[in-house]
Amino acid sequence: MPGTAVFICDCMGQVSDHVDTASLEALARTWDEVTLVRREGKLCGRQELAGMAAALGESGADRLLFAGCSPRMSLKLPEDLLEQTARDAGLDPALVEVANIREQGAWLQTDDPDQASARARDLLRMARARLQIAEPTAPAVPLEKRVLVVGAGPAGLSATQELAQAGVPVTLVEKKPYLGGKMCQLNYIFQTEGWPSSCESNCTGPVHARRADIDPLVTAHLSSEVTDLRKQDGNFIASVKVGPRFVDPDACISCGKCEEVCPEQTPSPLDLGVRTRKAIAKESARAVPDCVTIVDEACTRCGDCLPVCPTGAIDLEAKETTEQVRAGAVILATGTEPRDPAASPELGSAHPNVITSLQMERLIRHGVERPTDGEEPEHIVYVQCAGSRAGMHKQGSGVPYCSKTCCSVTAKQVKRLAMDAPMTEVSVLYYRDFRTYERALEKLHQDLESMGIEFHNGEVTAVAPSTEDDELLEVRYDQLGCAEDADGDEDGGGGSLECDMVVLACAQEPRLPDAARALGLPTDPHGFPIENQPRLLRPTETFVDRVYAVGAAVGPKAMQPAVGQGTQAALKAIQALSPGERVPLKHASKVDAGRCSACGVCASVCPHGAVRMTDDGAVVEEAFCQGCGMCGASCPSHAAALRNFTDERLLAEVDAAFTEAPADQPRLLALLCYWCAYGGADLAGAERLSLPASVRTMRVRCSCSVNLGLVTEMFRRGVDGVFIGGCPENSCHHMWGNWLSHKRGAMMKTLMEQAGLDPRRLKYDVIGIPHAKKFADELGKMHRMLAGLGPNPWRQGDGAALNDAEVSWLTR
Amino acid sequence: MADKVKIAVNWAAACGGCDVSILDLEQHVLALSAMAEFVFWPVAMDFKRDQLRAMPAGSVDVGIFNGAVRTSEQEEDAHLMRDKCRVLVAMGACACYGGIPGLANVADREAILQTAYADTPSTDNPDEVRPMEAHTEGAAALTLPALEERVRPLHQVVDVDLFLPGCPPTEARLLDLVGAVAALADGQEPPPAGTFLASDRGLCHECPRRETRGSRPVETFTRPHLVQADPDICLLDQGILCMGVATRGGCGATCLGAGMPCRGCFGPLPAQRDPAAELVGALSVLPGPRGEWDMPVHQVVNPVRSVKDPLGTFYRFTYPVSTGRRTIKQGG
Repeated sequence: MPGTAVFICDCMGQVSDHVDTASLEALARTWDEVTLVRREGKLCGRQELAGMAAALGESGADRLLFAGCSPRMSLKLPEDLLEQTARDAGLDPALVEVANIREQGAWLQTDDPDQASARARDLLRMARARLQIAEPTAPAVPLEKRVLVVGAGPAGLSATQELAQAGVPVTLVEKKPYLGGKMCQLNYIFQTEGWPSSCESNCTGPVHARRADIDPLVTAHLSSEVTDLRKQDGNFIASVKVGPRFVDPDACISCGKCEEVCPEQTPSPLDLGVRTRKAIAKESARAVPDCVTIVDEACTRCGDCLPVCPTGAIDLEAKETTEQVRAGAVILATGTEPRDPAASPELGSAHPNVITSLQMERLIRHGVERPTDGEEPEHIVYVQCAGSRAGMHKQGSGVPYCSKTCCSVTAKQVKRLAMDAPMTEVSVLYYRDFRTYERALEKLHQDLESMGIEFHNGEVTAVAPSTEDDELLEVRYDQLGCAEDADGDEDGGGGSLECDMVVLACAQEPRLPDAARALGLPTDPHGFPIENQPRLLRPTETFVDRVYAVGAAVGPKAMQPAVGQGTQAALKAIQALSPGERVPLKHASKVDAGRCSACGVCASVCPHGAVRMTDDGAVVEEAFCQGCGMCGASCPSHAAALRNFTDERLLAEVDAAFTEAPADQPRLLALLCYWCAYGGADLAGAERLSLPASVRTMRVRCSCSVNLGLVTEMFRRGVDGVFIGGCPENSCHHMWGNWLSHKRGAMMKTLMEQAGLDPRRLKYDVIGIPHAKKFADELGKMHRMLAGLGPNPWRQGDGAALNDAEVSWLTR
Repeated sequence: MADKVKIAVNWAAACGGCDVSILDLEQHVLALSAMAEFVFWPVAMDFKRDQLRAMPAGSVDVGIFNGAVRTSEQEEDAHLMRDKCRVLVAMGACACYGGIPGLANVADREAILQTAYADTPSTDNPDEVRPMEAHTEGAAALTLPALEERVRPLHQVVDVDLFLPGCPPTEARLLDLVGAVAALADGQEPPPAGTFLASDRGLCHECPRRETRGSRPVETFTRPHLVQADPDICLLDQGILCMGVATRGGCGATCLGAGMPCRGCFGPLPAQRDPAAELVGALSVLPGPRGEWDMPVHQVVNPVRSVKDPLGTFYRFTYPVSTGRRTIKQGG
């Protein structure tokens, strides 16, 4: 018989020693919808849970109300395990609610033992109120079994390879005409584990790229770009601008006959201009796919190559096309680009003998020479942090972060130069410190020191032709004193280095395509996508469901971690797509189209890119919704609302909350965010801290999920004070919900002050897991303050505030 | 032809704009007068209250009441209109929500009198004369209406059938009322009690700038006179507070067309609990510099602190229907 099954756990006395659980049992038996009530000493443990599932199954109940340990912090029976138990018994896990009578009931002390039982009964009533109007899980959304990988560098290739090997089709989109990205431009690739040893990209590159080239599950679009990326029906729709295919890679055998006859020389894009190539040529000997390419701007369409091609692979009239790709997941592996040194005039990059370290990679490949005259350079100066670590102390412009790979790359290059150009002197000008990340790479640094390479510490102020000899360059710098100097003065004068070549270890900047930004991906101020919170548990996942960011796209990194991230994201994508569908969360949002005015506030606040605006108003992509509730709380039309978190549900819970609260004490309601704040309150219980008897805790979604109109309604219904707890700074699980709560709170308090309602009746604060004591202290303080203020004057029935009839007139 | 529909119009605490808006119907007034007869409209014609009082209860078909209720006389009028009229219409923001006069609820009766008759710099009142509710001069007993403690919309005084919001109601919405009158003249039933002659959707839905909403980040809020606003872009995106997101549509977004933000005169949307709280909830989350989640909290709240008077801004037309109805003087 459909109904509610109630399971109450005594926790072998941990609950029942403080709370009269028999009274909870008796209370539950008075409810009409309850068909089964069981009170047990212990309900966790495999055997007990199996018994619970069996009893549930037998009872035929379709809803489960569990009273016991915390759904959030219990290590024995957390909510996912409870939901699994319900599923095992054939119940919809959305129809499960927990009354947390242990951590926030029995364990949170009160002065009066009777009050612990009273509070536990109210917690049970609140859970019942939620359960009574709980909505079943929304229908699953079918997912496309295909992953769109943007960027074919080491990370993207690694993801592609793993996905294809696992049988997941991949569409790979790469801007360059070859696979491998920046890796193809590096010669020796240091291996971060077990160095010294280095691989040649001509060896590892093809190994890496091969599967993307040959696997039938991979469609690789080269010379291509994603121009539009949208979400639709739970999947992604990408428009890919596919560059003209002048040479058919299937037909071409890279014999080089075309290259021989081609009359046009052009700077080689792969060689970054330090060498030239023919307009038609193989990009590099080991480039994948094994196929010549045409530099479109350089080709005159003379047609000389056409007759010599033995396979007829060349089509000089090929046109660009557009492909639509539907995918269930997206992996962004778009890497970084060296920061344009011209943006920092002090780096003197206009001089032809001032090059970037990526250009130096190409010179090392082809032979190190001065760009101006092709002679072997006499003295090369490396300028580190060229555009990196700009900030409080550094004068030069650039990005504030460390680009992380440059010191190791410089060390690698300098060591190589010692072998390839033994007569060339090399000096390194570094800013503050020279750090080769990873334990093994420090060996490179030590090698340079033992080789007698000169290291100068300072901030570059100018790279310019030498005043003494205009054939030469001069690198001028301000010397940075040691921080431990007795006088604390860091400005210890300056210096200058004379040389004939300068290599800039340029900062690396993200180059996320605009189309990816349009997914609603939160990025940091530099443009790197921000990883989902908690970051340490969800690396590579972005705030948008099934969008992963890997490799240098999330921050400069060496190849090995980039490859690792590609593999990791592939695993995550496989897990996400393997069920073939995405079941919307219990608290997924939906929009009532009939109410929506298309004001777009929901889309502005959604941190997960789950809301899109259409001609008919806002549409929530349920399969992307992560249930934070910011849309609903910001929707002035009340068109957007979370399932199982409606206005009606919240108010029903508030109405139940204070049933047995002591009448002579202020009613203080703590709305705690699903993640940090609720966990903090649980730990306050675990530490046996104390809360006044008339405080009630209520778990909400994000701290920003409760509409302020509802908060005023809570006051009207007799709540004397509302405390809203959110995640600590930079730890919000929904990106900015805690900050939006701060903003709301600040404005609302001004309004309350103007309206004469003491603004201290509403408090917003951050409560994290370490803040158990702060939680108990703050609520205790607020409770005392409210006791001094007396009942809130917005309470209905006191004459001042609106009465029910007027409110129903308003909300009809 | 059937009897003409009988209409009574009464003016309470309002600026008179609502009456003018009826006259502004221009040629439609002729259509109205063809099917209806004004049996009471003291602001436009020579009617006395006693004439209305003398009519049998329920004998007037449509009563149009504009203005809020803030004196004993207006309250009496409200009851009189309710008694005589079959369909009572709250016309204009003041009658529906309290309107601009409703902002008087930030003060109470004594504070208002003190300000008006003593404290303003231009007051010259050495004898501290105040309006008296009753005075006898020889044989003549004179009375003045009493000023009430707070301003009320019509529905807080008597039951109201139709709500026609706006400051003043726009022509199109007034024509809805004319249509309702025509239907009555035809012998049809009036719209169900509680009907709003306005849209149930937010103003954004009909705003010509709607497509551009969210097109640019809002760093902070500013005020219309401080910027040269783009005529086509959503004003919120230009940092100008616009109440359209939380305000009933139906006005055709005429203010937005003229470069001014919505001030909220059509009142709160259905399902809203408190007009200003809803606006705070929707608007406070919009402004902020890029990357603000990296900032300390005192900087994060700066953009919302730029709104100096949330009460006057967000309750501009609705203070008497707010949760607390009025400002609490002590012990909030």
